[in-house]
Amino acid sequence: MWHRIRVRLSALFRKREVEQDLDEELRYHLEKETERNVAGGMSREQARRAALRGFGGVEQIKEECREARGTRFIEELGQDVRYGLRTSLRQPGFTLIAVVTLSLGIGANTTIFSVINSLLLKPIPFPDADRLVLVWETQVNDPQSRNIVSAPNFLDWQRQNDVFTSMAVFDSAGKGYNLSGDGEPQRVSGVRVSASFFDVLGVEPRLGRSFLPEEETFGKHRVVVLGDGLWRSRYNADPALVGKTIKVDGEDFTVIGVTPPEFEFQFWSGPRQLWVPIFYTKGDQDRGSHSFIAVARLKPNVTTEQARARMNTIGLGLAQEYPKDNVGRSATVELIGEFGLETQRSTLFTLLSVAGFVLLIACVNVANLLTASGAMRQREFAIRSALGASRARAIRQLLTESSLLAVAGGLGGILVAIWTSSLLLKVLPDNLRAVPFRSLNEITIDFKVLAFTWVITCLTGVLFGLAPALLFSRRNANESLQEGSRGTTGGGAKLRQALVVIEVALALIVLTGAGLMVQSMMRLLNVAPGLDPKNVLTMNISLPQENLYYGPPAHPQFARNLQEQVGSIPGVVSASAVSHLPIGGGQAGRGFVIEGRPDPGSDNQPGGGYSVVCPNYFRTMGIKLVSGREFTEQDTANAPGVIIINEAMSRQYWPGEDPIGKRIKIGYFDSNAPWLTVVGVAQDVKQGGLDRQSRREFFRPYTQAAWPVMTIVVRTTTSTAAFINPVKQALARIEPGSAVSGIRTMEEVLRSSLGARRFPMLLLLAFSFVALTLAAVGISGVVSFSVSQRTREIGIRMALGAHKRDVLRLVLNRSLGAALTGVGLGLAGSFALTRFLTSLLFEVKPMDPIVVGTAALLLTGVALIASYLPARRATKVDPMVALRYE
Amino acid sequence: MTRGKTDLLAGTLDLIVLRLLRAGPANGWDITQRIQVISKEVLSVNYGSLYPALHRLEARGWIVSEWGESENNRRAKFYRLTAAGRKQLAAERKAWERFSGALEAILRTT
Repeated sequence: MWHRIRVRLSALFRKREVEQDLDEELRYHLEKETERNVAGGMSREQARRAALRGFGGVEQIKEECREARGTRFIEELGQDVRYGLRTSLRQPGFTLIAVVTLSLGIGANTTIFSVINSLLLKPIPFPDADRLVLVWETQVNDPQSRNIVSAPNFLDWQRQNDVFTSMAVFDSAGKGYNLSGDGEPQRVSGVRVSASFFDVLGVEPRLGRSFLPEEETFGKHRVVVLGDGLWRSRYNADPALVGKTIKVDGEDFTVIGVTPPEFEFQFWSGPRQLWVPIFYTKGDQDRGSHSFIAVARLKPNVTTEQARARMNTIGLGLAQEYPKDNVGRSATVELIGEFGLETQRSTLFTLLSVAGFVLLIACVNVANLLTASGAMRQREFAIRSALGASRARAIRQLLTESSLLAVAGGLGGILVAIWTSSLLLKVLPDNLRAVPFRSLNEITIDFKVLAFTWVITCLTGVLFGLAPALLFSRRNANESLQEGSRGTTGGGAKLRQALVVIEVALALIVLTGAGLMVQSMMRLLNVAPGLDPKNVLTMNISLPQENLYYGPPAHPQFARNLQEQVGSIPGVVSASAVSHLPIGGGQAGRGFVIEGRPDPGSDNQPGGGYSVVCPNYFRTMGIKLVSGREFTEQDTANAPGVIIINEAMSRQYWPGEDPIGKRIKIGYFDSNAPWLTVVGVAQDVKQGGLDRQSRREFFRPYTQAAWPVMTIVVRTTTSTAAFINPVKQALARIEPGSAVSGIRTMEEVLRSSLGARRFPMLLLLAFSFVALTLAAVGISGVVSFSVSQRTREIGIRMALGAHKRDVLRLVLNRSLGAALTGVGLGLAGSFALTRFLTSLLFEVKPMDPIVVGTAALLLTGVALIASYLPARRATKVDPMVALRYE
Repeated sequence: MTRGKTDLLAGTLDLIVLRLLRAGPANGWDITQRIQVISKEVLSVNYGSLYPALHRLEARGWIVSEWGESENNRRAKFYRLTAAGRKQLAAERKAWERFSGALEAILRTT
């Protein structure tokens, strides 16, 4: 085997030597034969001639020897490749368009699929993740609902179940923690977890240990596990850090462990770098206070279905035992890998299908280009055939050429994929960058996908590269030679028209999709947020605060200091702070009772969104007060409790009444929480995001009900950039040791809240631009081809008195016919496909007539221009030249 | 076709070449001469098919070639049988014997 390869390789690469060897070998034979003949009595000349005669044709023998060595095929391939390259370079426009088309199609698909692969198909980074489940509270009348669990319910689950080896919880909200004491204060995203958390996930700390059960009790809870990244960046990967104490939110915590580098943990917000054990606060111990996410490991041989059935029974039992908090509730189980992918899925798969369309368009375009160029070369092949080239050789030539294009397109595709995936990673919005337990740090190009798209485009190339060869070989070479360029458009014309139709149809579908998303975005940008985002600076700060849910703050002077220190900076109009920044700043909710109304029962309790704000909040944010007043510094912990409600809440609970002066209390009918008086009604704000309905909300003053993490908001007279440092310095004075983070303007907050929609919209726009360009190129190629084929016919028509307008109409009619058929098909396709976009649309119907109409008009316009330009060339034809044209 | 001489049966040239090379390395010219001498001038070898056959056998790895000196100090290409060639020779020989035995049997009965 090895020997054979060597013979062939040497035949290929030492071709000259091999040829010389052959010459010499045969020469030796000839000479010996000549000598023998001379010895037999012939003259030298006679002897030589006789020897040559005995030999037959020397060249023929040589050729047979070469073939015997099995290299002729490869040598001819080399010729084909060289010839193909020359042909490609002779028509640079054609080659460039084909290669760019292929590169875009292959590259775009590879990138999009690589993102999906890196994100959605990436395994959960925990051992035996297929045995890990999330356990949720659920509604009996809506078994698909997923609710976070209260601590008492979780503890009952843990006690009663027999399907899990272990269970753990973590705080669904997470929290920013202040690290201070050693260097710059730093705010780090962390989360409270139960002691069993790391054991359930199956994660071993790289240093130290995980939590002990007793560390869940107050007093022993001041221990912390650090993320590998934090340990490296803040503590220089100091292995002696374990056992030392660090300052967390101003208190001494002992570092007990460091997570392994591959451990990534994140849930509804960014990755966590710090873990502290849960001790259940007074607020947590309320069975109605749902704030935890439960995760559990299935016992061996227990299926998800069995676990679900068991948890349902336990949940129903708890509903009977604690009807007040658990009425209508149950519990359910779902595999950890199946959670949270829905929104990402729809966006990414939309993009994938659009990328697929672009690939299809690219293939159609290449097919189009190849058939056109093949048809133009019919004459060339006729000549070659007349000179003795076999049909197989002609086919091979065409195959080689289309393969060359495919190789170039594939290489281009790799470049496009590398470039777009690094670009994509930069602009990918957070909601697509991260799904629970997984995050996207890099996009690795998926070479399987690359290979797949490459093969598809190659097949297209081969298939359509062959069409002209087959077409040609059916015809008599002589006929071809005679007709040559003056022939009618021939059999390929129908195929090319069909390709244009397909191309236009696909482009219209992509264009409609992009149009719908642009329209959604425009609607969203026109949504009034209910506040004035101009010149408002925001930043987060965490405040020392143990009592998470009720009661006055540990240091009420924060609100006053904020007014004095930040409010007094020259150029600051007003300053305040809020627990939940509108539009993407998270939400909290509270149930309450209205004074003087009968007990509605725990099932129908009134409720609303809950925020804590400092004085001057509404003024700073530009939220109009419809009636009543702002909070002031006089609303202290000792003063009567006050709230401000929004219009939605006023409409819901005091329709046709003035709510000012009315009182509510937080909690159930029998709660002993203080009564709170409504002192103001504020305009509705899009708290949950521009695409959400405003909901009922009420606000409490910070001075009466603290919150551990506040967002500072500062309205300035001019651009906010100049105020970042003065505000940070002022905050450092009033809250030393508290790091600020997330510095953004309110306009940025608004903009980034649209990021999740903007990103697919921009991609779709880019794709539709590519699709439109490709379609235009395709149409224009077909028209210029048919014009060049009909030059003679046009010349005759003009010689016989046809006007330019008639010629134009003649040429345009056919291509417009194809374009319009394509538009029709595309409309049908859009009708079938755009409804899958519904989840990405905002207040736009999938077949919005304006969008669809605009897309159809735009495409028709582009088709018209794309065919007009080459058609106009036809009218410039000089009849005499055209008649002589060959 | 020259009178008194017989063309080779298809496929037998390879067998003959392999058999002749078993005696030792030889060049193309030697092989043609030996065929004629040993077959008592009955078999004639067309040179036009000998050389392609040599190259084909070499490509299959049954023989190898190297340049050497011929009797009067002229450079000539010598072919030598390889181990694989030996095996091939045995196989082809067995096949040939089976074939010729069968043929003979048929010719005798009719």
